Amino acid sequence: MTPRLRLVLLALALACIAPALPAVIGALPVFGSHPLPYGDIINRLAPAERHVTNMVSAVNFDYRGFDTLGEEMMLFVAVTGTAVLLRGTRGEAITALPATVPGRQIPPHSEALVLTARWFAPVTILFGIYVVLHATVTPGGGFQGGVIIASGLLLLYLGEGYAGWRRFMRNGPLDAIEGGGAAAYALAGFGPMLVGAQYLQNVLPLGSMKLLLSGGLMVVVNASVAFAVAGGFGILFVEFLEETRAEDPTQ
Amino acid sequence: MTLLPWAVCVWLFAIGLYGIITSRHYVHLIGCLSVVQSATYVLLLAIGFRWGAGAPIFYDHPPGTPAVDPVVQALVLTDIVIGAAVTALLLALALQLHRRSGTLDPEALRPMQ
Repeated sequence: MTPRLRLVLLALALACIAPALPAVIGALPVFGSHPLPYGDIINRLAPAERHVTNMVSAVNFDYRGFDTLGEEMMLFVAVTGTAVLLRGTRGEAITALPATVPGRQIPPHSEALVLTARWFAPVTILFGIYVVLHATVTPGGGFQGGVIIASGLLLLYLGEGYAGWRRFMRNGPLDAIEGGGAAAYALAGFGPMLVGAQYLQNVLPLGSMKLLLSGGLMVVVNASVAFAVAGGFGILFVEFLEETRAEDPTQ
Repeated sequence: MTLLPWAVCVWLFAIGLYGIITSRHYVHLIGCLSVVQSATYVLLLAIGFRWGAGAPIFYDHPPGTPAVDPVVQALVLTDIVIGAAVTALLLALALQLHRRSGTLDPEALRPMQ
């Protein structure tokens, strides 16, 4: 299909949608008027009901906990699919040899880069853990913190180079962290059923507000999300960087 | 000013869609898809916004202070993380495609043998 034909198809589609556009634009709420009732109900009830101060986490890990389980599985499936696609042709062999392009030199490792990465990687990972731990109290949570921890792992790659990085970024533990996190979320939902409550119902002691351990089951769910996200992005980094390696000459 | 968020949202969606339609490279197409996706973030956050309201975090402010909608924020939050992972999956597909057919131009692709 040529670009011109695609543009003609786009114009046809727009011509079909165009008559409805004024009605849709006219029905948009005025910006800042906020017509949705659910958020206000949660803002009003959740602090007293769940003893948490972060309403976004309360929605994610408790009120919409079941939806988040679905999103967690989407993440899991996307990461698994990427790993299967890339490992499928490359195989599971691990080599530290960088692939080379004829006529292009691999630049030497810069000391300034190593120093900067060694300074910032631990601080970034520590900040990620901080964000994870404060999920129910201040802005943060397993999703954001997990991604921050994963970016710290990528900084470690910049500092240590591929071989040094792969010494602790092992496939087995990373897979276990990613899968274990996703499984812990699903299994944490069955916990309440043992005492006769519903799936993912928050039956743990809620703790007191503004403490790290407030929110009951949210603490468990949040931690499992953090593991799954950090492990999942770690796997993605490993898989894509493994693509830049040369074929192992011994095989 | 009250139209600006909707305008940004429409612009992001339109420019991303135009990029997808006229794309000549799959990596470019995946980038455009992310732009289209970010239009939904702007839309959701703009719908949840309320003038004079703070963040839905009641740490410094007592519960009951006017706050924006936490539900749409939670939706956007998970969407961003999942979106990044799905983008990685699409890029892996593009890599695989390049390995098999040697090209990432939609025009040059032929049905797989």
